[in-house]
Amino acid sequence: MPITSIDTFLCVWCGLTVHAHPADGPRRNHCPSCLHSRHVVDHVDGGPSECAARMTPISIAVLRNGDWRVIHRCVRCDELTSSPVAEDDNRLILMRMAVRPLAQPPFPLEAFGEL
Amino acid sequence: MARRKNARVRRVAQRRKDVLHGQGRHHRSHDFRCAGCRLDVSLSAPGTAHRNHCPNCLVSLHVDRRVPGDRDADCHGRMVALSVSVRPDGEWMIVHECLSCGELSVNRIAGDDNALALMRLALRPLRDPGVPGAAHEALLTL
Ligand SMILES: [Zn+2]
Ligand SMILES: [Zn+2]
Ligand SMILES: [Zn+2]
Ligand SMILES: [Zn+2]
Repeated sequence: MPITSIDTFLCVWCGLTVHAHPADGPRRNHCPSCLHSRHVVDHVDGGPSECAARMTPISIAVLRNGDWRVIHRCVRCDELTSSPVAEDDNRLILMRMAVRPLAQPPFPLEAFGEL
Repeated sequence: MARRKNARVRRVAQRRKDVLHGQGRHHRSHDFRCAGCRLDVSLSAPGTAHRNHCPNCLVSLHVDRRVPGDRDADCHGRMVALSVSVRPDGEWMIVHECLSCGELSVNRIAGDDNALALMRLALRPLRDPGVPGAAHEALLTL
């Protein structure tokens, strides 16, 4: 059965069929289950990219209004993108990414007891 | 007379430091003045081949286009630290975002980067959870 259409895409990492247009919220460009994405836009020229490789989630960015975004990095060409976190994105993976730096700090955390 | 001349030369030499990484393709300065906090910064940094952000406020400048170090961008906007990313080997990286054009870049931290500024950056998702209850859940996964 053909899975990809304008409204759905197949996750290149976990194989989930993703609805690109959830009822509430902006267009999805990462998989809600594994948070992986695909390199389809060229950041320098703005148009479509021929790369098409998998983009892996590397970080959580917090916008000034408090919204979270996932930062993605292309495994083939290192291109970086960001996309908004959706209501039904995998919470466990989001949280793991959010606390990952604190689990492996480059300096002793005891120095920051007052934070 | 001679004194005044020397003073003038020194002032001109200092002004060159205003732009991160020097002003032109051929200008080789060992220092830069931070576009964020105005700190005079040495380009050599412990733990990295070459410094690309201010060790005090972590601000950088948008000078590369496609490849780190290509110095090919016309933007020259201010790049602020957006978040911390951790490489598979455990090393912390700073994700920078250009305030002028939105471009993102990932950079290694240096041994003398401001630990408090790095820590504040790393704690942002926990202080400002994008989803209700997220901070509590996040701490449980630690
Ligand atoms: Zn997936
Ligand atoms: Zn790519
Ligand atoms: Zn600075
Ligand atoms: Zn820029």
